Amino acid sequence: MTGSATWMKFFAVGAMALALTACGGGKKEESEDVTARLPNPDPYPSTYQPWASTPTLIEGATLLLGNGERIDNGAILMRDGVIDKVGKTGEVKLPKGKGEKIDAKGRYVTPGIIDAHSHLGVYPSPGFSSMSDGNEATAPNTAGVWAEHSVWPHDPGFTRALAGGITALQILPGSANLFGGRSVTLKNVPARTVQEMKFPGAPYGIKMACGENPKRVYQNSGPSTRMGNFRGYRNAWIEATAYKKKWDDYAAKLESGEDAGDPPGRDLKLETLAGVLSGDLFVNMHCYRGDEMVQVLDMAKEFGYKVSAFHHVVEGYKIADRLAEEGVCAAVWADWWGFKLEAYDSVRENAALIHNQPNGCAIIHSDSGVGIQRLNQEAAKAMADGRNLGIDIPEREAIKWLTSNPAKALHIEDKVGTLEAGKMADIVVWSRTPFSVYAKADLVFIDGALMYDRSDPSTSPRTDFEIGQEDNTMLGGAGQ
Amino acid sequence: MSTLMTKLFKSAATILAAGAFSLSFSLSVTMAQTIAITNAEIHLAGPTNAPRTISNGTIIIENGLIRAVGPQVEAPLNATVINAEGKPVTPGLFAALTSVGLVEISLNDDANETSPDWGFPLSASLHASDALNTDSSIIAISRSGGVTRVYTTPNPGDKLFGGCGLVMDLSGSDNPISGDCLAQSAVMGLSGARRAGNTKTGAMALLRYWLDEALIYQRAPGTFRSRPNDTGLSLPDIQALVPVAMGQQPLLVEVNSAPDIRRLIDLQQEYGLKLILVSAREAWRLADELAAANIPVIINPADNLPENFESMGATLANAARLMDAGVVVAFYDNDIGYTHNVRLLPQLAGNAAANGVDHEEALAAITLNPAKIWGLESELGTVQAGKIADLVIWDGDPLEVTSRPTHIFINGAEASLENRQSLLAKRYKDLTRGDRPPAWKGD
Repeated sequence: MTGSATWMKFFAVGAMALALTACGGGKKEESEDVTARLPNPDPYPSTYQPWASTPTLIEGATLLLGNGERIDNGAILMRDGVIDKVGKTGEVKLPKGKGEKIDAKGRYVTPGIIDAHSHLGVYPSPGFSSMSDGNEATAPNTAGVWAEHSVWPHDPGFTRALAGGITALQILPGSANLFGGRSVTLKNVPARTVQEMKFPGAPYGIKMACGENPKRVYQNSGPSTRMGNFRGYRNAWIEATAYKKKWDDYAAKLESGEDAGDPPGRDLKLETLAGVLSGDLFVNMHCYRGDEMVQVLDMAKEFGYKVSAFHHVVEGYKIADRLAEEGVCAAVWADWWGFKLEAYDSVRENAALIHNQPNGCAIIHSDSGVGIQRLNQEAAKAMADGRNLGIDIPEREAIKWLTSNPAKALHIEDKVGTLEAGKMADIVVWSRTPFSVYAKADLVFIDGALMYDRSDPSTSPRTDFEIGQEDNTMLGGAGQ
Repeated sequence: MSTLMTKLFKSAATILAAGAFSLSFSLSVTMAQTIAITNAEIHLAGPTNAPRTISNGTIIIENGLIRAVGPQVEAPLNATVINAEGKPVTPGLFAALTSVGLVEISLNDDANETSPDWGFPLSASLHASDALNTDSSIIAISRSGGVTRVYTTPNPGDKLFGGCGLVMDLSGSDNPISGDCLAQSAVMGLSGARRAGNTKTGAMALLRYWLDEALIYQRAPGTFRSRPNDTGLSLPDIQALVPVAMGQQPLLVEVNSAPDIRRLIDLQQEYGLKLILVSAREAWRLADELAAANIPVIINPADNLPENFESMGATLANAARLMDAGVVVAFYDNDIGYTHNVRLLPQLAGNAAANGVDHEEALAAITLNPAKIWGLESELGTVQAGKIADLVIWDGDPLEVTSRPTHIFINGAEASLENRQSLLAKRYKDLTRGDRPPAWKGD
């Protein structure tokens, strides 16, 4: 990620603010003033806390590490919420022999599945209009809305996704607008508030949309054409550039001790866009057509920002070389198509062709409360279709589409996405290879805590909405 | 009953005619050609009280039909032999409910004939066959996934009824219809309520009213014409509902909640209707009643979200519980894959198999059971001598998501696996700039 320097800056600022709060202002006065006089970058902070865990050793499993490696007869030790050690069975031991030992002979272990594109919580079940909170379709640029303010943590869809091995997911606003608003990355744990789900340390993203959706939604007021879409993006970036400069100048004056005067006026929309320009927010760009994506890449250069991932990317295979050259990930469905003309030129080999480029970054996403429950099957189909075209992608590679690649696109790859020591212990034990329709997530751990156990209904979450409803809560929970 | 029987009889004739038509187009196969598929793991999808599979079996195809099936069958000398190399062979997949041929692009009015705009006066009298696009790209794309037959139907606009659908083969023939106007489509439950003053009481009252009108018309068509008509249904629609009200033509009803299903079972008894339930998320709660009433259901076995208060009991166990009770169950995708991804039927069946349905029964839900539901059981749906040769050879377990067809036979002729998607993939597989533009890379 080329924007990582600025992204780190964002976290430095955020961390400083936290440190100052914690230490009661132990740092020098000057920098406290600077931080306090700039907009709080994290006003709805994560209150996520890992659930209780015991040291757990899983042995005898096939490990797909998510970094391209595979260990047969492997073992993995989780301790204090993190992955402690990964290796061959026999080489990894429980500390002092204490903790849980799970015999996973014949089973597979993978990193927790990460869905880069979900609308759970913002388009929840039930799908009543009163709960339809995913598209602020009132203006083509609503960059000022934040998806987390729509997320209903009691959406039963979260529990279904958990049973499918989903441990983290990005919740996006919908695609009605050129700028849909901020996304939020969550840990998939049952919670009372969205803050209790927010992935600690995950940066914010923004949702943008190409093509048919914005021009259809605003056909009367504009944009009503694809060129109108681009005028809308570019005008917004021009405005955001000016806004960013005002705040940068103000911050620079504060920093240098000059009289900075009154702070510039805040604008939530431009604050989010300026965050993209400074690299603090990553860009999720809903785009289907290859030609349009290449235009977006030019626009990103024009205004000095970076697209983290295109989403849907039905024509990704037509420009897979360009995506790989630019280091942009492509989040795709395995085989959805035909609902719009821009989704007409779908090929089942899309993910494989994107992956097959040097440095190609394919992601399988769901965009669906049903699909999110079986992302492993979607990856399996895409892998098989690649093979049919002569692109042989082994399981140890294809698992990246669900783990390390989405982690990269969401900029949490230093924390999750692979089975490597030191990373958060978000892992799934599958009944067999996950690249099978018969595979089931038997055990799902999040930060080392067992959050779902298929064999034990007491670890099968039932949401508030469902509890006590006729013939629902007796189903075994999580829709099983 | 006679109307339906006539139609079925016609449909059988159509099938044979269609078979001849498509065969005449094939360079490699002639009508007289005999094909032997040898060394096959045959999944018969046949009766449960007989062996379900034959290993190392042979299937002889002749004149569009399966002539013989078995472990000891000899390939005739004149046969073109296809060695399946131990791989599975199944009946061609039969999609129980789609709008194939009625839609090319869902969100494009110019390429979507599935349902009329709100306010359009006609409904029950609409015929899928009047708009059927036999050139739809979905046909070849679905075929490459092993689908050989589909039921395709218009869906309701702002009325309770959508019109009647048909069964077609996916050979690519210009004349693919195997059975026309086989059922009337309708919506009840919340979908019905939306079309009836936003109440389910309104939907049920309207349904009765229109069935009654159809019966009144049927008894005295002449006097009916002079009656004041305040039903919101025009005369052609009422005429179209006569075979439904008489119990001759099935009524395909989308419904979900157990109470709504219970009410429809009552209505079936009252009117003598032939019902087929669609979606039916809570059908498992009435599995025994549905089995006793001989009402088949078409469900998405992966449908487990409480979308609203009529789906609180949605569960992955729906298929297994219904099938255990003896209900005839077929699978469809009620979501974005409804028409464009009928090629994913094996994934639906695989998920049913992963959630308590016997593997061969899950296969039957995408082969035999749709044939039963659409009255084509004697011609289609299983690998049995005498049936139409719709067959698929797979490179692995047919219900596994990593398996793909290697050969497809429709009406006894081998059909192409190629389609515009496979051609696009080939065109763009190598992106290095050559001497000629990609647009010159063709078929």
